[in-house]
Amino acid sequence: MIRLPAFLAVVIAMVLGLVAGSPARAVQQGVQQGEQDNEDTGLRLLREAAAAARGRGYAGTQYVTTWGRSGSFSSVVEVHNVPGRGLSVRSRPSGTAGWVDPGAPAGSMTAPSETMLEVLARNYRVVEAGRTSTGGRAARLVNVLRADGTLAARYWLDEAGGLALRRELFDGHGRTVHVGGFLDLTLDPARGGAVAVPTPGGVDLGEVPALMDLGWRFPTELPGRLELFAAHTEPAGYLYLGYSDGLSVVSVFVDSGVLDGEKLRGWHAQRRDGHTIWMRNSAEQGTIWASGDHVYTVFADAPADTVDAAVAALPHEPAPNLWNRLGRGAHRLLSWVNPFG
Amino acid sequence: MSHLGERVSALVDGELNHHERDRALSHLAFCASCRAEVEAMRALKSRLRSLDGPAMPADLTMSLLRMADPGDPLPPRERPFPSGSRTFGGAPIPGMHSVAPPDNRPRGRAATTRRSRRVGYVAVGVASAAVAIGTLFVVGGPDPGPRVPPVDMFANQHRNTVPYGGTATPTFSPTP
Repeated sequence: MIRLPAFLAVVIAMVLGLVAGSPARAVQQGVQQGEQDNEDTGLRLLREAAAAARGRGYAGTQYVTTWGRSGSFSSVVEVHNVPGRGLSVRSRPSGTAGWVDPGAPAGSMTAPSETMLEVLARNYRVVEAGRTSTGGRAARLVNVLRADGTLAARYWLDEAGGLALRRELFDGHGRTVHVGGFLDLTLDPARGGAVAVPTPGGVDLGEVPALMDLGWRFPTELPGRLELFAAHTEPAGYLYLGYSDGLSVVSVFVDSGVLDGEKLRGWHAQRRDGHTIWMRNSAEQGTIWASGDHVYTVFADAPADTVDAAVAALPHEPAPNLWNRLGRGAHRLLSWVNPFG
Repeated sequence: MSHLGERVSALVDGELNHHERDRALSHLAFCASCRAEVEAMRALKSRLRSLDGPAMPADLTMSLLRMADPGDPLPPRERPFPSGSRTFGGAPIPGMHSVAPPDNRPRGRAATTRRSRRVGYVAVGVASAAVAIGTLFVVGGPDPGPRVPPVDMFANQHRNTVPYGGTATPTFSPTP
């Protein structure tokens, strides 16, 4: 009778010790600590991590899980970063490989440019949130908070190399929508002392005036603090629009033509606000719809609710008719006679 | 000097020159018969000048006014020998009277002219609008045909897009 309370006390002490020492507990403490700090205290750490992701040689195995509209999609990839050349990504078990930019979604966006970090800091509060560990490596936590204080993203940054060991994204309801992290990591000691400088980056909006003159109309902002960072026509004739909030990226492709929904294999139609939208179950949350005499295609690495809001904010015009053709003719005639065109 | 004769009228009308007039007046001083004839001629012409002009007949005035009023179109002109009565190989041969002379008769065509002019304006407007719409239709080109977007290419471009990476277009280069 006397030993039982002692045993219970030991068990309770062990449980409390595990809870106090667990990563979740550390994360919670980090959130509280970060909220007490000044704003954007974690921006310096993200800047160092971005520089390390480009300038530090490393190799390892990553897993990536994304929760889309209708489920999760996971993959395991072997990565090998060669400074100056890029990041080699080989997916398992298919074995397809290629060189990608560590700042792109294919590179898990572990190396954002300085401009993107500025956009991130403008739209979110980036705070340092303490220390923890992941994958057997000591890490520093950085929380990215929305204006209402909810968590939008969390980074685990390697204490030794500064690399982003793990990255998580959350939607507006607090649900995890993306997780990517190292299962194992080996830093290249030969390049350990290399001083890495983050790329300055910038926007790709030089063609916007010419696109406006050609009659293109597109929003410069989308719901979810998504800002237009790229707008240009591709040699294939379609228009590319890139939006980002500093954390996620939404790509919009606008192609001329009328959508032939019957030939869309692997896509399912859905009615939204009187419009038909085709979706594909994939990590990029592909979405296609017709608007006027154009076809819009959206791929995104962003929470599903953000993608849906962005899709709703883009044009959804009825099918073209005779007046559209006459208007097109008038526009062409005016462009021919316009001496400044 | 002989009598004035036919020069009496010229003298009364003042149509003689200065020399002839002096000679005629000298003759009148000695010739009572010519003086009487001149007086008679002068009295006659004075009488004629004092007379009123001829009055316009009322029916003639009304007839002229009716010619200017609008009226019903005139019936078609009947030809004494209708064309087509004689043919050669199925083709009509114009006869001597088959070609009517120009119809110069007055007709009530003022309203018809205005109406036809109005119809002309409408026709020109409709034709102009048709030409303009046709031009816009042709210049506008045919509607783009149905198509399926190259989704795999789009997805690949999205995966390799570097947000705020500058103007460089991202590329995907498979390893050998």
